[in-house]
Amino acid sequence: MKKFLLILLVLAVGFQGALLAQTRTVTGTVTGGDDGLGIPRANILVKGTTRGTNTNLDGQFSIEVTADETLVFSFVGYVTQEVAVGNQTTINIVLQPDYAELGEVVVVGYGSQEKKEITSSVVAVDAKDFNQGNVNDAAGLLQGKVPGLQVFNKGGNPNNSGSFRLRGISSVGSNAQPLVVIDGVIGASLDNVDPNDIESINVLKDGSAAAIYGSRGSAGVILVTTKQGTRGGSSLQADYNGFVSAATVRQFQPVMDAATYVANGGNDLGSVTDWQDEITRTAISNVHNISVSGSSENTTFRVSTNFRNIQGILDKSGFDQINARANLNHFAVNDKLNISFNMALSQRNQNFSFNEAFRYASLFNPTAPIRNPNGSFFQAILFDNFNPVAILNQNINQGERQTLNFNTQLSYEFFPGFRVTANYAQQFGSQIQGRYFSRESLYVGLGRNGLAARQADENRFTLFETFASWDKELNNANLTLTAGYSWQESQNTGFGMEAGNFPTDDLGFNIIGASGNVLGRQGEVNIYSYETPEDRIIAGFLRFNLTIGNGIFVNGGVRREGSTRLGVDNQWGTFPFVGAGVDILEYADIAAFDVLKFRAGYGVTGSLPGASGQAQDLFAYNRDDSAAGGNVSRVRGGNPDLKWEEKAEINLGLDFGLLGSKLTGTLDVYSRDVNDFILNRQVDPAIFGFSNRFENAGKIQDRGIELALTYNNLLSGDLKWTPGIIASSNKTTLEEYIIDETSFANLGSPGQNGTNMIRVAVGEEIGQIWGPQFVGVSDTGEPIFADLNGDGTVNADPASILNDDSDSQQLGTGIPTVNIGWTNQLSYGNWDLNLFFRASLGHSLVNTFRAFYEPLDPGAINSFNRTVTDLSLTDLTVAQFSSYYVEKADFIRLDNATIGYNFDMSGNDFIRNIRVYGTVQDAFVLTNYQGVDPDPVGDDGGNVLAPGIDRRNNYFDDRTYTFGLTIGF
Amino acid sequence: MKLTVKLLSLACLVFTIGACTDLEEQLNDSFNEDFTPANTQGATNVTRSTPNDGLEAAFARLRNGAAGHNNYFSMQEVTTDEAVITQKGGDWFDGGIWLDAHRHEWNSTHPALNGMWGDAYGAIGEANRLIADNAGNAAAVAQLRVMRAYVYWRLMDSFGRVKVVTVLGQDAPQQDRVDTFNFIEAELLAAIPDLADARAEYGRVSALSAQAFLARLYLNADHYTGTPRWQDAIDAADAVINSGVYSLSPDFSAIFAPDNIDNVEQIWTIPYDESTAGGMNFAQMTLHYPSQLTYSLQDQPWNGYSSLEAFYNSFDNADGRKAASFIAGPQNDINGNPILDLAFDPADADGAAINYTPAINELAPSGSRQAGVRMGKYGFKLRQRPDMDNDYVIFRYAEVLMNKAEATARLNNNWSDGVSLALVNQVRDRAGASQFTTMTEQDFLAERGREFFQESLRRSDLIRFGAWGNAWWEKSAHSDVNLDIFPIPNDQILAAADTQNPLTQNPGYN
Repeated sequence: MKKFLLILLVLAVGFQGALLAQTRTVTGTVTGGDDGLGIPRANILVKGTTRGTNTNLDGQFSIEVTADETLVFSFVGYVTQEVAVGNQTTINIVLQPDYAELGEVVVVGYGSQEKKEITSSVVAVDAKDFNQGNVNDAAGLLQGKVPGLQVFNKGGNPNNSGSFRLRGISSVGSNAQPLVVIDGVIGASLDNVDPNDIESINVLKDGSAAAIYGSRGSAGVILVTTKQGTRGGSSLQADYNGFVSAATVRQFQPVMDAATYVANGGNDLGSVTDWQDEITRTAISNVHNISVSGSSENTTFRVSTNFRNIQGILDKSGFDQINARANLNHFAVNDKLNISFNMALSQRNQNFSFNEAFRYASLFNPTAPIRNPNGSFFQAILFDNFNPVAILNQNINQGERQTLNFNTQLSYEFFPGFRVTANYAQQFGSQIQGRYFSRESLYVGLGRNGLAARQADENRFTLFETFASWDKELNNANLTLTAGYSWQESQNTGFGMEAGNFPTDDLGFNIIGASGNVLGRQGEVNIYSYETPEDRIIAGFLRFNLTIGNGIFVNGGVRREGSTRLGVDNQWGTFPFVGAGVDILEYADIAAFDVLKFRAGYGVTGSLPGASGQAQDLFAYNRDDSAAGGNVSRVRGGNPDLKWEEKAEINLGLDFGLLGSKLTGTLDVYSRDVNDFILNRQVDPAIFGFSNRFENAGKIQDRGIELALTYNNLLSGDLKWTPGIIASSNKTTLEEYIIDETSFANLGSPGQNGTNMIRVAVGEEIGQIWGPQFVGVSDTGEPIFADLNGDGTVNADPASILNDDSDSQQLGTGIPTVNIGWTNQLSYGNWDLNLFFRASLGHSLVNTFRAFYEPLDPGAINSFNRTVTDLSLTDLTVAQFSSYYVEKADFIRLDNATIGYNFDMSGNDFIRNIRVYGTVQDAFVLTNYQGVDPDPVGDDGGNVLAPGIDRRNNYFDDRTYTFGLTIGF
Repeated sequence: MKLTVKLLSLACLVFTIGACTDLEEQLNDSFNEDFTPANTQGATNVTRSTPNDGLEAAFARLRNGAAGHNNYFSMQEVTTDEAVITQKGGDWFDGGIWLDAHRHEWNSTHPALNGMWGDAYGAIGEANRLIADNAGNAAAVAQLRVMRAYVYWRLMDSFGRVKVVTVLGQDAPQQDRVDTFNFIEAELLAAIPDLADARAEYGRVSALSAQAFLARLYLNADHYTGTPRWQDAIDAADAVINSGVYSLSPDFSAIFAPDNIDNVEQIWTIPYDESTAGGMNFAQMTLHYPSQLTYSLQDQPWNGYSSLEAFYNSFDNADGRKAASFIAGPQNDINGNPILDLAFDPADADGAAINYTPAINELAPSGSRQAGVRMGKYGFKLRQRPDMDNDYVIFRYAEVLMNKAEATARLNNNWSDGVSLALVNQVRDRAGASQFTTMTEQDFLAERGREFFQESLRRSDLIRFGAWGNAWWEKSAHSDVNLDIFPIPNDQILAAADTQNPLTQNPGYN
């Protein structure tokens, strides 16, 4: 390392030439104006050059300069200062905190803005604010950190990424996930970014901010910026980041133990088995990240490699991943030309195991042995109930996934203020999966004499964008114009095969070629190949940003966008947006406030149907039993009139700072109309020949309020405490719909089909859990329901809950009244402690485990083990959905507790810093909910109109203990 | 700004070479319009031969719900005295829809009704498309018209007032039952001259199939329209009988066996195939879970449907149809060892060993898991998949004989009419049952029950004989004629609400 530094130094000397002749050493300390302590890693740059240094952990620095140079001192969260060197040999600087961080630059679509110019609702989360511990995807970093952003990721399945939902339901039938933009590449996959490589994440919440991205931004935008080499920073630095973690099951499904089961009439099969314990484990994970970054005068780079070896708490589940990323930036022609190249590659070997084992472990007879005396797995032929240990051990469910993306960006400044940028990006994903069900596996495989399936899927996304921006200083104003063109194409293709009847289990799914099944006979060989329809988005856009004086900010623009997914006459849409902000303190002196800014924005975006091809009829060839071939049938009735779903949103916001900017906050309120929402709705088959097609079917309205408050350093003295709280509330109303009311979310088999649990109605809120009101148990063990309409008869028929004479009512709401995140950053000397609590209040969940398996039906006790909770009624023997199974699921949990120690490395030439930390995720949860996880459930198998159903095969929730180490070289 | 625009356009053109505003959506793995498939070289292992004329796209739609759960078959069977789905504790409650069906307390949200309606119009849409496509081919159009008429008959018989649409994409007002009856009759009469008086190609229809259909239509005309058409029913039946093309199969169970292709008795069948034409799931629907071991089934069955004790007992032991129709008694695995239900109800006298007893303890809530004889008329084959290979018979020669017997008896107002007795005895004789010397209306209805069990005819038979409101096991008597037709499915009323021709509900339902 030393040698390398020497070479760089020699090079630097060569470049700098004669200027270096009269240098001398200036030393000093950089301290913070808030606490008077040294600021570690503050940036010091010689103005107009690329030379610079950083302070050590105590805030001290030393740099070679000449007398006529100026030093620029900066650090995130503080106001940058410049000092002319002159005769000084010691320069001590006090940087004043910039609590509101209004000078911070925020990446917005096709450019960046200073934070004070932002007129929409944008939240920036830096690496230091991310959730720590065993976090394997970007969603986990953000959970609870952004008001209005909900991350749904029930359970601890490492092979599942969390899904995002911004500001409630933004779309019904189309994609409700926010657009992800990674280093300017829209639609990039979060799967290919290691959390260790993320510098910051910006979330654009409202329509006026997201509109520049068009349809793909209609559910909000998440902008990810990866770490880059710092130009003019220290020439070369390396970082190591690693942790080891252990995860255990936080909460088992409460079921009868063997003795209780027998006492309740269950057949005693002679053993005692805790099935849930048998299928789970203490999961040990290792993560290592090494990155190297550096710069020369005109080039910066950063390369990193990440290794992840992750186990899930379900036996055999987990993945191994290697991810590499390289970022390169080059400046030429006096910085007029900027070329940047980013590339990332992930290779992940996955073992999905079988999530169904969770359900069967909660249901299988607790007196059954795992194995028979002869060593084979114990099995009993019961309906939908199998030995879960056998499932995990007899069968294989694995996959391999590669993701590669690169983008090249060229930008050239033709004349001062006018810059043209072109960006070309591609992303490839490929996945190969294999499943094998053994010849012995009663679950699947026995009937087929072994069953193997292999499938390969590939996806490709191509992006070409070019845009120009023009900065113009006007009289007391500044105008920026941006115009651009965007071309996006995606394609999915794949093929697969399934066959059975094998001579041995020993080769797993790789034996598929030895199948005893014959193509074209028995129907036992299933082969398919697919390619999605051409899928393109083409758009042009125009935007202006106008700053008047120091306090008025106006922007606006329009995007004209077309998509292949819509009916030919409706492919193009025009989407305008406008926003304005006023720094009120520039124009009025309000004593109480140190910061007071008002923002307003309005934007329209379009949404597309979730799948391509829906505007067109589809014809397919079916092989039939004729000797020579088959026939052509119409398999889909397209909707040639399908048009854009349009979302119009108004956002009003206030940024404020009080008490000398120690208390800062942001308040946003919004109202959003989703017009012509796209839904795969039931239509009259007499006309169309099909019962369903995609139509523009109605309108929903979202309204919400979001608040973020931070109190900087609440205590005085050495112990520092910075608490922050975010809270959001959202309400979605169905404004128009093709029919007045309908119901969704069938409870299902066994025994409870035809039982819809969710009602939606025009003019009312989304999220109504609906059904009869439970009042007690009859002598015969049946549930008694309330006569809600007082007509003297009780109609609790699940099939007629919407009828006038039905005794059904709202039993709860699936959407929380308020979601809260409460951060506490404490530090004392070199110690720091971060406690992050998360809460959701006001929502209910349907506990489906209880609804199926709690009533003690004597005839069926032997089919399934029984769920036992505080709410169990021993005399209830008949299962029928009602209020009895709808539980309030308010909770508060200690989501993340991290304690860290930073070693003092000020005297060490090699190592900049060492930090060790320990984290507990999901340390405790306070709730009355009887299921395993009280977190809200956002949709029911993708149906966003049916939130609040806690289904049975969720991966169990885990509690994770992490020990981590960070070293900077 | 002009420069910007120029640069942008240039960049766009260079990059995409003219494709910069192209939004044509090409379907890469399928077609967006009809096409004529080239013949492939002889397919391997063809077990039967349906004609390769493209019409199968419409005929194949008849499979939907005809022999599966929660659709047409279920509503024609579970509502009658010959089949039931009991609630077995936590299993098969399903919101009470099958208890409602058994007790005649169904309502318009029953999912099977919605499925019946949607599938029927799906088939009609495909027939309408092919009728237009084959405009120059009279024989093809005639076949499609008969097939479409049959689907309209199912709709009219079940729902009464329906929409009759003959062009894909067009709409029509909901019309009265008598109008749909007249439409069906006219369609059949118009199609017959273009069809051969011969056995139809497999899975298809001939003029004789249309005559058999007419016989059934006229037999029920009194109920549908208020005007009896007994002589017309006899004439249509005679057209089939006198053709000499069909005869009774000497082996009753062969008509329904897994290899029942081209049985001499079949007039019109819906071909199913375990690989290319799925949808017949009787083994799954009726067998108890461990019966998987009796037949080495590839998937676990569902333990749903069984028959009623009184119905089972209406068969003489000497009647060959009894053993051919039901699976009863103790059950063994493929090696002859008794099969066990380890989750047996401790109160069950049979213990874990499975015994399909005719008596069932109760309909709900805790019907015994192993009680009730099971539906076995469509025989199972070893190692079969959930989709069975048997073909479902919708018209067969025995029905034509029985229809003529009934129409004759009704025309002459004499159930012991000599012609009728002779026809009925032909059918009984084949089954090994004793000859009737006299006959009552009740005898005849029971005979139809024994002959046509599991053939989706019982509902319309009970209605025609005025026995629909009778009491039977776990079902009380009623005299509500509104129950003769099902409600228009609620979802369909909602789906059609924003069309030119909204649907209105049938009387007595909401």
